[in-house]
Amino acid sequence: MQHDQRATLIHMANQIAANLQSSDDAAAGVRTHLEKFWARSMKERLIGCLDDADCDLSPIARQAVEQMAEQRRQAS
Amino acid sequence: MIGYYDPNKDYGTPARLSENHVSLSIDGVEISVPEGTSVLRAAALADINIPKLCASDNLEAFGSCRLCAVQVEGKRGYPAACTTPVEAGMQVTTQNTKLARLRRNVMELYISDHPLDCLTCPANGDCELQDVAGAVGLREVRYGFEGENHLAAEKDNSNPYFSFDPSKCIVCSRCVRACEEVQGTFALTIDGRGFDSKVSPGQMEDFMDSECVSCGACVQACPTATLMEKSVVDQGVPEHSVITTCAYCGVGCSFKAEMKGDQLVRMVPYKGGDANHGHSCVKGRFAFGYATHQDRLTTPMIRDSIDQPWREVGWEEAISFAAERLKATQAKYGRESIGGITSSRCTNEETYLVQKLIRAAFGNNNTDTCARVCHSPTGYGLKTTLGESAGTQTFDSVMKSDAIIVIGANPTDAHPVFASLMRRRLREGASLIVADPRHIDLLDTPHRSDAQHLPLRPGTNVALVNALAHVVVTEGLEDHDFIAKRCDTEAYRAWRDFISEERHSPEAVESVTGVSAAAVRHAARTYAKAPNGAIYYGLGVTEHSQGSTMVMGIANLAMATGNIGREGVGVNPLRGQNNVQGSCDMGSFPHELPGYQHVADATARQRFEELWGVPIDDEPGLRIPNMFDAAIEGSFKALYVQGEDIAQSDPNTQHVEAALTSLDCLIVQDIFLNETAKYAHVLLPGSSFLEKNGTFTNAERRINRVRKVMPPRAGKEDWEITVELSRALGYPMDYRHPSEIMDEIAQLTPTFTGVSYDKLERLGSLQWPCNAEHPEGTPTMHEFDFPIGLGRFAITEYVATEERTNRRFPLLLTTGRILSQYNVGAQTRRTDNQVWHDEDVLEIHPSDAEMRGIADGDWLGITSRSGQTVLRARLSERMQPGVVYTTFHHPASGANVITTDSSDWATNCPEYKVTAVQVEKVSRPSAWQRRFDDFDREQRQFLEAAREPASQGVAP
Repeated sequence: MQHDQRATLIHMANQIAANLQSSDDAAAGVRTHLEKFWARSMKERLIGCLDDADCDLSPIARQAVEQMAEQRRQAS
Repeated sequence: MIGYYDPNKDYGTPARLSENHVSLSIDGVEISVPEGTSVLRAAALADINIPKLCASDNLEAFGSCRLCAVQVEGKRGYPAACTTPVEAGMQVTTQNTKLARLRRNVMELYISDHPLDCLTCPANGDCELQDVAGAVGLREVRYGFEGENHLAAEKDNSNPYFSFDPSKCIVCSRCVRACEEVQGTFALTIDGRGFDSKVSPGQMEDFMDSECVSCGACVQACPTATLMEKSVVDQGVPEHSVITTCAYCGVGCSFKAEMKGDQLVRMVPYKGGDANHGHSCVKGRFAFGYATHQDRLTTPMIRDSIDQPWREVGWEEAISFAAERLKATQAKYGRESIGGITSSRCTNEETYLVQKLIRAAFGNNNTDTCARVCHSPTGYGLKTTLGESAGTQTFDSVMKSDAIIVIGANPTDAHPVFASLMRRRLREGASLIVADPRHIDLLDTPHRSDAQHLPLRPGTNVALVNALAHVVVTEGLEDHDFIAKRCDTEAYRAWRDFISEERHSPEAVESVTGVSAAAVRHAARTYAKAPNGAIYYGLGVTEHSQGSTMVMGIANLAMATGNIGREGVGVNPLRGQNNVQGSCDMGSFPHELPGYQHVADATARQRFEELWGVPIDDEPGLRIPNMFDAAIEGSFKALYVQGEDIAQSDPNTQHVEAALTSLDCLIVQDIFLNETAKYAHVLLPGSSFLEKNGTFTNAERRINRVRKVMPPRAGKEDWEITVELSRALGYPMDYRHPSEIMDEIAQLTPTFTGVSYDKLERLGSLQWPCNAEHPEGTPTMHEFDFPIGLGRFAITEYVATEERTNRRFPLLLTTGRILSQYNVGAQTRRTDNQVWHDEDVLEIHPSDAEMRGIADGDWLGITSRSGQTVLRARLSERMQPGVVYTTFHHPASGANVITTDSSDWATNCPEYKVTAVQVEKVSRPSAWQRRFDDFDREQRQFLEAAREPASQGVAP
């Protein structure tokens, strides 16, 4: 069975962003959610596709993943 | 709420709760009892036991048998003690010559129309009629036995579990009253008058043809052998009993397992059980035969690949094989390439050990539980808003509710014993509001006063709950005092601004939900204006793409109306399986240690690390759907599954099958060769709930003991198997009994610090939090504050599901459960419950059927974006047109072949409740079903081949 995990993760992140869109600082909310509930490998995979041309993250989700990437860069 | 004393004694009439006490004298004994208590009960409390036949302390007094006649000084005649309330200064005589003669005369009449076959009667030794005949000293029957009688009345053996022998009936009406008052079904009546009076299921039908739901209340109420368990007829009266907890739904009923040696004869609901107060349903009461079914796995088995036959081996070899495979997988693919799944069917101690094994011995957080696919949104939603991932009330709390909202739950089928309690409250006058795409049986509760049905479109829960909240806010129905004192002001203001927007009004969302604005406004007013409003919900809330949002929406509604923190109100998730609450409490989720302590919380983690002696990963692990995705992609290669059947219960079956076949090592610990086990490399035979010690935690946070009544058929309790696997992986765990595991849980879990087996023995059960602050547990949560201080309103934006209908898939499928079967059916399919439901069917509205030329019973192909399966049609008006419905109790039905990967945004809980489908008449099973049959046949042959040498006594 064909399965594109990368596409699934992007879809999941967009779904989170859509549900938190009305919150104050939605991007921070999405980032916190990803940090709190996603496995390390999933987060790394999502960060890894930020620069891909076909990385179809919504604006809020992209902002959240960029924040997460930056935070991880600083932590390491 | 119902104050029983010795649960093993029948006090004749129910307790009264008045705070005013009345003093009286019975046979010279002074006693003080609550006002309204019957003389019969008052006497029983003083251990003065007046003979009785028609009275029982779970039924209101009836005064028919006249055996409890007494004399009261200053009063004429012989009043029945059961119907006579106590009065101050009353002087009662229960025994004298006149009363003795009167009682003998009554018994003489009864026995003149009763078979004299006591020695061969199945109730011999357990018959109230026999006991009372002895107690009153009956020695002769002067009327003879030749007169007109009922001795030739025909037996009804239609029910698989109990027989009805009217020749033995004394027409005391206990069965009829039990069906009405305890169960609330009203399936029985007394037909005829005078001598012709007889108990009648329905309108003189067989039990199986009547509305009887086989709860067993009538059987338990019967004082003779008229209604009798067939197991007792076959095996005789049990000789000892052990109190334990049912392994079916989240009500967690207490039962007496009545035994002969190590043979279970019958399960009798235990009156001392705080969740069920002596009531039961057809599953817990009767469907226990699976525990001794021939399909039980009794020997460990291994194989290198799933296209090979199984090889029976000893425990040591199986455990060693499993451990070596896990180690080799990690060596090759990395520490995070393996994980484990536990089940809500397991005990707290077992689930605790599995997550400990994974975090400590596997060295990662890839642990999850089947609660992922049912109530994970409850955990997220309630923790975010109320600060604790649990329901707020006791079940008994419903008896103080004035308005009850039931959303996406079907209690009469999925939580039958609680449904009976709720129905009792509805008969007393509480209002009922049901939000459900289907017309559920609760709406048809006999003698209820008021019911409103909001038949919303599947997938529009959040729009509906927002509309309800909009009405509360814009019509000034909020509880401003509660909000000011108990809730975070900033979050409240933000929510209030959000929910007040016109786009959330009932009128604005009417076209989305399909529910009329007037009905929504009426429902919101009913709930908000009631002195006590309670919300109960089930998987129809959680199993959506916005499951978590909906849970938060429910909590918002309860906080806005001040319906939190006392009896009669609250937010109440009805948990599907017996230990959903417990499996979540025990740290089975990948992001949380036991007690919902996040793995990133350094302080909490340190306490575990110190006690366990290993470092714990500070990042969450994979959830079940993430494990499947990673397996298919190739980064996740080995899985330990305890007690869960992911191949049948998880959505998009073909996706799950692809994941399971991608694994290098699948270890399944179960009592049967379930669908997942057919993809396994190691089979570890587990133990049923009758074969082990432990605890289950029910939907009201009640921790109940599970007690071993027979030895494990495969030689080990499940917790012992996990301990051995851990030892083989180089991380020894040292426990001699599950009580020691609970002691460790108490040490590490702030809400469990006061829990111990000793205390459970003493108090029967405990509702967590149970700690220094609440040493005997916490029946009602959030009475004074929330664990997060102030309640937090959450913004609940409605986001339509991506699973939408179109021309290709014009219908919406929603799934659910029925009364007689349980979850994947592994247990109930191996019992006589099959007579009620031996196949899953597709319920379709007559108008949808007519458009497609479908008749009742036709074979239907149901196609979704995920796959196709074939089920038989059942025309039903329970759903609105455009919605079809099925269950998933039978694996070959393939209900989950059609459900999709769509899931809750916050937790990945699958959206079982919304799948766009098309339906058409077909003439043969689907391609998946044909493949399933072939694979199933092959795997069963592999199992049989492994068993043959052993059964023939040939050495392997």
